[in-house]
Amino acid sequence: MNKELLKKSQSLLALFALCLVITLLSDKFMTTTNLWNVLRQISVNVCISVGMTLVVLMAGIDLSVGSVLAFSSAVCAGLLKSGLEFQSFDLFVGFTVLGGVLVALLVGLLMGLFNGFVITKFSIPPFVATLAMLTIARGATMLYTKGIPISNLGSSFEFIGSGWLLGIPLPVWISLIVVLVMVFVTKKTTFGRYIYAIGGNEKAAFLSGINVNRVKLWVYGLAGTMAAIGGVLVTSRLNSAQPNAGVSYELDSIAAVVIGGTSLSGGVGTVTGTVIGAAIIGVLNNGLVLLDVSPFWQQVVKGGVILLAVIIDRKSKGSK
Amino acid sequence: MKKIKFLLFIILAFGALSCGKKGDDEKPKVAVVISTLNNPWFVVLAEAAAENAQKLGYETKIFDSQNNPATESDNFENLISSGYDAILFNPTDADGSISNILKAKEAGVPVFCMDREVNSNDAATAQILSDNYSGCVEIGIEFVKALGGKGKYVEIIGLVGDNNTWARSGGFHSVVDKFPDLQMVAQQSGDFDRNKAMEVLETIMQANPDIEAVFCGNDAMALGAYQALQAAGKADRVKVFGFDGADEVVEKIDEGKIVATGMQHPLVMAEYAARYADEYFKGKRDFPQRVPVEVELVVKENAERFLKK
Repeated sequence: MNKELLKKSQSLLALFALCLVITLLSDKFMTTTNLWNVLRQISVNVCISVGMTLVVLMAGIDLSVGSVLAFSSAVCAGLLKSGLEFQSFDLFVGFTVLGGVLVALLVGLLMGLFNGFVITKFSIPPFVATLAMLTIARGATMLYTKGIPISNLGSSFEFIGSGWLLGIPLPVWISLIVVLVMVFVTKKTTFGRYIYAIGGNEKAAFLSGINVNRVKLWVYGLAGTMAAIGGVLVTSRLNSAQPNAGVSYELDSIAAVVIGGTSLSGGVGTVTGTVIGAAIIGVLNNGLVLLDVSPFWQQVVKGGVILLAVIIDRKSKGSK
Repeated sequence: MKKIKFLLFIILAFGALSCGKKGDDEKPKVAVVISTLNNPWFVVLAEAAAENAQKLGYETKIFDSQNNPATESDNFENLISSGYDAILFNPTDADGSISNILKAKEAGVPVFCMDREVNSNDAATAQILSDNYSGCVEIGIEFVKALGGKGKYVEIIGLVGDNNTWARSGGFHSVVDKFPDLQMVAQQSGDFDRNKAMEVLETIMQANPDIEAVFCGNDAMALGAYQALQAAGKADRVKVFGFDGADEVVEKIDEGKIVATGMQHPLVMAEYAARYADEYFKGKRDFPQRVPVEVELVVKENAERFLKK
């Protein structure tokens, strides 16, 4: 068995073990409704975390995903609800569901590209640049919504987050497509290989003729777009854009990436690993509530699991 | 003796200095320090307080403490040093905020607490409080009535580190716990967040499909809970209770979809606080330490009165 496969099966094993423990403690866990609930609940984090994986593979980090999610969510809801009005031209532009969603994704893309631009152009550490964006995007959300939720966005928009297609919830389809596309990108395209090369050794990648800055720019752009997809999903599920949506989502997504075996120092890791990481967090959240564990303990347990995952990861790397 | 005279002189000099600074007829400045602007309810409170103070002719500015007593402490230091004359204050923490108020008091800046109280009777000049505990006692009574005193229910509490969470939960349980046939099958946190509350209730319903009611620690969570019930096709069987008086919830109460909420009055509290500051500047000093602002129960019968047209 090769090393990567071993590592992947490790987190997969952890996921199975976790499911087994919860199944033994509660007979409500292994029911179809509950499993669909879990998959639907993790779909937002999966989208964000897949984008985060690309960033972390390049030894970067994106702390702004939660705020970018909130801002694109707010813009999407605002356009769907009241459109755009240009009073000086006496012109009103309404938005269809597709239009609102596309603008939301564009907003996410632009904010991500801005992250990438600042990081490459001014060689600012990703941690700092995206930390700034975290605050800027949250502030922009507050300005745009005036701190008040934008609700009742219409039933066709609501369908994205709560509808079913071929017996599978729509958010699960969407996150599945995102995952498949990104698995293809990382495994089968030159762009994907460049990401790994930059994460493995940026200088060597540069010297071998890779346009490092351009790859970085687009990876941050993609991460922003994924956050916006998550934003559309959250907004549509609630049929409402909440100004404080996505607070601390960056932590959940970084946790998913790390539990999934991607190294924070870059170059090593997979998109599928991250999906397993997100599933572990989701199953844990679900199980702790199913068992009615006190909310105080839940946070301790979650932190403990993240720690455990990373320790195991380190150990397996140390013994290679 | 000489030393004492010298000390007295120094004290007088400083006293004179700080008096002299405000001697001219410059309008006093009023600061609004708010626990968080990340929640619509507090945005309304902060803006109403600022507007009221402006209407009375004062220059105002809003400071956001981001739910963090340390940020709040920085805000206090900054605004004291930049010469604000009164603070309309919504504290982040009942104990943690006391030292900040005392800092202002030492600098001669009166502090008027709004909505949330601090556990001290001689720090703030006055505290205008929303009575979360009694408000949830009312909700509890309505809850028992609606359920006929028996059945399984779920409680979704707010942020576990927030004192309003426990004031609300405490008031509710002070009534409901007297009925042994009312059985709480789960108590989980929804972090005052609509999405989190929805997901938590989705999961709880897997373990407890036969619940009859949900009590939520704020209205955002009540809306999330209602959506989870609606998606599970249980919205007409399970009774939802909230707290805050959000417009969307009042509408749903009027439509008979949510049973009750507690209407808090941020506008009343903001107005009181601004008026007290005004009276303080005009020389009044004897304010009642605690001014409770009643939380009104909103049910289907009276919901129309609270609807925003």
